[in-house]
Amino acid sequence: MPMRAELRALGRAPKVLLLGSGGLSIGQAGEFDYSGTQAVKALVEQGCEVILVNPNIATVQTNPEPHVKVYLYPVEPEWVEKVIAKEHPDAIVAGFGGQTALNCLIALHDRNTLAKYNVLNLGTPVATLKMTEDRDLFAQKMREISIPVPPSFAVTSLPAAEAAAADIGYPVIVRAAYALGGLGSGFASNSDELAALVVPALANSPQVLIEKSLKGWKEVEYEVMRDGEGNIITICNMENFDPLGIHTGDSIVVCPSQTLSDDEYQILRNAAQRIVEACGIVGECNVQYALDPFSHQFYVIEINARLSRSSALASKASGYPIAYVAAKVVLGHDLLELINPVTGVTYAYFEPALDYVTIKVPRWDLVKFRGASRLLGSTMKSVGEVMAIGRSFPEAIQKAVRMVTELGEGLSAFRTSSEAELEAALSQPTDTRLYAVLNALRLGWDIEKIHSLTAIDKWFLANLREITTLEQEVINRARQISATPDDEHLVRKVFEGLDSNSWRRLKMTGFGDEQLAALVLHAVRHGKKIAEKTVQSGSRIVRELRKQHGVVPYIKKIDTTAGEYPSPSNYLYMSYVGMFHDQLPDDGKHSIVVLGSGAYRIGTSVEFDWCAVSCSRELQKAGWRSVIINCNPETVSTDYNSSDRLFFEEMTLERILDICELEQPTGVVACMGGQLPNKLALPLAASGVRLLGHSPETIDMAENRSLFSALLDKLGIDQPRWVAATTQADVDRFIAEVGFPVLVRPSYVLSGAAMRVAYDATSLAQSLAVAIDISTDHPVVISEFLLGAREIELDGVAKDGEILTSVVSEHIENAGVHSGDATMVVPAQRLYVETVRRVRRAARLIARGLNLNGPFNIQFLARQNHIKVIECNARAARSFPFVSKVVGLNLADTATALMIGNKPAMLRLSEDDLPHVGVKAPMFSFTRLAGADPVLGVEMASTGEVGCIGRSFDEALLLSLESAKCRRPRKGILVSAGPESEKLKFLECAEYFAKTSLPLFATSGTADYLEKHGFKVTRLAWPGEAKGGMDVIRAIKEGLVDLVINVPKALQSQELSYGAQIRRAAVQFGCSLLTNMEATIAFSQALARMPDFAQVHEVLPLPAYRSQA
Amino acid sequence: MSFRGPRDDRAPCVLQLSDGNRFVGQLIGAPVKASGQMVFTTGMVGYSEAMTDPSYFGQILVFTYPLIGNYGIPSLPRALELPIPHGFESDRVNAAAVILAIDSPETFHWNSFQSLDTWLKQQGVPGIVGLDTRHIVHLIRQSPNLLGQVIPEHSRGVRDLGSTLTKVSDEGFFDPGQYDIVAEVSTKERRLIGHGKTRIGLVDCGVKWNILRQLIERGCEVELLPWNTDLSSVDCTAWLLSNGPGDPIRTGGLRRQVAGLLEGNRPILGICLGHQVLALAAGASTKRMQYGHRSHNQPVYQVGTRRGFITSQNHGYVVDDSSIPDEWEPWFLNANDQTIEGIRHKSKPFRSVQFHPEAAGGPRDTGWILDQFVQEVTT
Repeated sequence: MPMRAELRALGRAPKVLLLGSGGLSIGQAGEFDYSGTQAVKALVEQGCEVILVNPNIATVQTNPEPHVKVYLYPVEPEWVEKVIAKEHPDAIVAGFGGQTALNCLIALHDRNTLAKYNVLNLGTPVATLKMTEDRDLFAQKMREISIPVPPSFAVTSLPAAEAAAADIGYPVIVRAAYALGGLGSGFASNSDELAALVVPALANSPQVLIEKSLKGWKEVEYEVMRDGEGNIITICNMENFDPLGIHTGDSIVVCPSQTLSDDEYQILRNAAQRIVEACGIVGECNVQYALDPFSHQFYVIEINARLSRSSALASKASGYPIAYVAAKVVLGHDLLELINPVTGVTYAYFEPALDYVTIKVPRWDLVKFRGASRLLGSTMKSVGEVMAIGRSFPEAIQKAVRMVTELGEGLSAFRTSSEAELEAALSQPTDTRLYAVLNALRLGWDIEKIHSLTAIDKWFLANLREITTLEQEVINRARQISATPDDEHLVRKVFEGLDSNSWRRLKMTGFGDEQLAALVLHAVRHGKKIAEKTVQSGSRIVRELRKQHGVVPYIKKIDTTAGEYPSPSNYLYMSYVGMFHDQLPDDGKHSIVVLGSGAYRIGTSVEFDWCAVSCSRELQKAGWRSVIINCNPETVSTDYNSSDRLFFEEMTLERILDICELEQPTGVVACMGGQLPNKLALPLAASGVRLLGHSPETIDMAENRSLFSALLDKLGIDQPRWVAATTQADVDRFIAEVGFPVLVRPSYVLSGAAMRVAYDATSLAQSLAVAIDISTDHPVVISEFLLGAREIELDGVAKDGEILTSVVSEHIENAGVHSGDATMVVPAQRLYVETVRRVRRAARLIARGLNLNGPFNIQFLARQNHIKVIECNARAARSFPFVSKVVGLNLADTATALMIGNKPAMLRLSEDDLPHVGVKAPMFSFTRLAGADPVLGVEMASTGEVGCIGRSFDEALLLSLESAKCRRPRKGILVSAGPESEKLKFLECAEYFAKTSLPLFATSGTADYLEKHGFKVTRLAWPGEAKGGMDVIRAIKEGLVDLVINVPKALQSQELSYGAQIRRAAVQFGCSLLTNMEATIAFSQALARMPDFAQVHEVLPLPAYRSQA
Repeated sequence: MSFRGPRDDRAPCVLQLSDGNRFVGQLIGAPVKASGQMVFTTGMVGYSEAMTDPSYFGQILVFTYPLIGNYGIPSLPRALELPIPHGFESDRVNAAAVILAIDSPETFHWNSFQSLDTWLKQQGVPGIVGLDTRHIVHLIRQSPNLLGQVIPEHSRGVRDLGSTLTKVSDEGFFDPGQYDIVAEVSTKERRLIGHGKTRIGLVDCGVKWNILRQLIERGCEVELLPWNTDLSSVDCTAWLLSNGPGDPIRTGGLRRQVAGLLEGNRPILGICLGHQVLALAAGASTKRMQYGHRSHNQPVYQVGTRRGFITSQNHGYVVDDSSIPDEWEPWFLNANDQTIEGIRHKSKPFRSVQFHPEAAGGPRDTGWILDQFVQEVTT
């Protein structure tokens, strides 16, 4: 079938409104850039004009390309309606922007907006979406077609929930309706636990479900696509390593299923087809099942009638471009007419055959969130994921662990838990349970015992045991020949006489070279710390000895047909389970390798994928063969059409060298994927790989604080005082000189990992312990921590030490908030001209001094006109997509063109000429992290960002804050301003809030202060001190306020203070929360100046990039 | 010096191919030599179904999925009895040998009775693990009729094929295409299975048990007929021409007998080899394919509609679309290569499909064909 008749009848290019997913948060992350970007491509290919609404400025999909008009606006019905009123789209597509987009579509439908503007909903009808989201209606539908659903009751009150639980019998599972990532869900074993879940869930959702608990059952998912003709395909199935009970986003997921028989596989596949048929799904759908591990009994748990994290994973795991095909299907095309672009020889109507196994492992950063519980359950907590591809289970899981931990030692690095701790670690799933399983196997626990504690299928456990068995053989051998004191000699002695079968066995079981070297060293030098350098030189010996036996990995293609037909696919991985390379087509081009970002985590997210994708496309345009290496299935860079060759592989020195030996690239780009590839740059250069862009010397000088600091001294540029301390005496001397507070951090810092502010000797001692634990090769850096300073960033591109273009941006918060959590504005709004001049001048000197040759970012502090340099990143920075889109010049493209020797024109630009202002705001996920204190500090805590443009700073700020869920208050404001200085600052806003005639609440100290200054406030008691009256938490719970301003007294306080309780409650009960006074002032001023902003604002599209021709 | 796990104690085993390629892996199953035509399947599940499928008789079956045996092997009945247990398509392994990358020495599935290795030993069938199955598939794709020999290091005899072919297969490369191998897998005697008002005459060219299960479940009584039965002597309401191994032109007199059935009006359904025999009987011709269909993911569509079905297939011969007689029409086509996937008579109740509507293993999207057939026959 061609395009739908309604669209064809237009007689012109249809205008299609595509909804994005907004800022990245836990449960809704990079996968929606993958799906949205593929949708844009597919829609444009079919001749549509695309109108995209998505405030996520760091994504690839929000590139203002030809036939794509980008609106950086909240994906909320009011704003989307404005876009509709302006653009008059013919149709809307909401299946590619996650739950946010679907909720928005449903609201637009319910508000009658779609009918009013005659906008056709492509894809699954709204009525179906509502039915699939309402568990009662869904269960009823399933019963109609005889598909079993778990016993379940929808309730709207706590008493009803208790009655339902009593009826089903504890334990029960609680689920909130209309929720992404299982928000407000969990298991309850008794009525107290039930109440703890149901009350907050009902605050966020009108309806809560009480269901039979199926703990210990297998969790299996099917990805299904159905076209308008009723043709259905199952793209693949996936089996969770963890049994049911852990959110699938937090589960280790294996694709295809490994422990299901043909009968089981087909029974569930058939059920999935009947479900999508009965529901009338058009496009992609995910079906989740619980399968009894002892029979054919199953239940359908839920379906997601949209692209999802699982479908992104399924797409990367199977090689089938699900989002791309789904976008064409919703336009009306049927699967029989669409060619599968990955093979070029088969049609979209078929089901991929895999001849490998893929394993997804989530990336949790729970240690980054103060107070967050590490227990896993039905609420998702992970912030990213990796996918490993192998031809044996141990090979794939070992790869996955190296990918996700970014430790060469992988699974062998975790040998800590004691026998006593193990039982708890196994029976209570946390982010480290996999390691606990391995440790139990190392201790010789049998599979039955581990299974009884974890309910993990014994087949998986048996496969893991192969790893520990071999590990033990290596250790035994190392101990036999431990006589030698020389580390390198020891490694050589252990592996020298190994025959090639043993080498092959080790590598087929997934051991890395570095892992083997480390295993030997740890086995013999037990307890002693072993330097990273020693392990690395050991790994070089392992590599050399192994290659002497000809044991190398082979390139295998993912072609969706398991080799049944010849395929030009460029989607590749490497495996030791094989003896031959797949033939790769010779396009006659020279390769350049681009290193991607690896797993998303706090501090590395879509922005680096945007950089890598921009770089790859620019290389292709210039006639190079672009070769991407990345291991993150949520990315655009791992799409089949983002490069000429994609190695979906681990980002380890070993594997990158393997690929370079085969590809013989002209160069490797390590400066586009963030900190992980940047960290690999020097070891790669040392192994003879040519880096494009900055030289190894430049990178080293920028990263090594001593070298960089010496350079600044030489250049006469001021910096916060600091010391690289290796002894306690160094530390004491420094503190005596500069006093507290100080910032403590190891070298090679990413997103403030292990970065701590110490306010006194006690917190300093704690911080030092953490820092030293993390890095043994680098001294701990302690620096002066400036309070009350502005923070400024400069992003730019340099060539041979000369800055070719740069953009200055300003933080709204004062220094002390991590730059990734700060609200940023371009062009700078409050800086003196002289400050900017000094910033630019310092940047020019630094560029020359470091001989920068590529993308870079410099961070400054400013007080009055005095500036200090914090750091220089000799790589593309998090802010690149934001500044690029606001100023209209793609800095990543520019940097790439320069690295390959091209000279782009149009480099000089002045932010002063911009007709608009851009503001970037952080997006947090504290709602999902039970116990975590939502407060900003030097450690980054945001999971994503949004960026909007407006005609003024106020407009841009209000839009971006609203996109980040900080909205104009409508009910009431609660303020608890902490220190005196903050209370004083708050007076600036109090005036405004008083005028809104909304009730103003304050905690006692703040209330005193405000009353003294003539403001009328309602005083609230601290939690537990109200004696039956209204306390602050109750005010939040009962919805008296919807904006909470709480500035913590001191950043050092670790205990669960009243402030933390207020912040948690605010987040949990859906209030807007501000924890920084500068941001509060900016927000209130903007609100005051634009009282009817939402009514009068005229929507503004993002202008296209300026031509670089 | 070497590390030796339990699997490393396996004996070396050679795969010698007729194109001169030779690979060494490790032996699983019985230490006997085997020879046959090299074929593969890309199905990710259903290995016990595939190995027992009589269509693989005389073939060395390569599994492209690298991990085989994960959920073990259920308990295999000695003979065909009701109810027919799931997991098997006949009472023995029919593939001459199996080639795979990695097997599971231990199994944990609730329905598992033994491991793949143990089962193969018990069945007297050799297998090789540790080979680059993806590479071997490339070689099979490149040669029209690649033959292979499985040679364990210390072999004790040859794979018993239960007939004179055992000896033949011991002498160099055994090409099943040169023999009437349907005789090897067809039932030796007529027998009635199931109870129902309607009797289906099932011409057994190597029928998969799931065809029987499906007919019996739908309330039919099945008379299982040796392939060379005099069909005029059979009393039944309708005919089913079963799947089976080999070249459809090597089915002796069956084609002429079926041509005789076409004179009458009793409904006929042909499946796989049965489809090809029916086409030959109707006057069409068959040919060898460049790329056979060897997977669980073959897309077909019903001619004249936009309706597609994912099917399970295993065939290297196909009905030539230019040879279909006027009274017949294509019923299904393959969505990828547009080859004939089914034909039907324009006025009489005769039809056949190249794919397996009974599945096992593989998708069950086309079970409705059996529904329709049974419904038509019973009303």
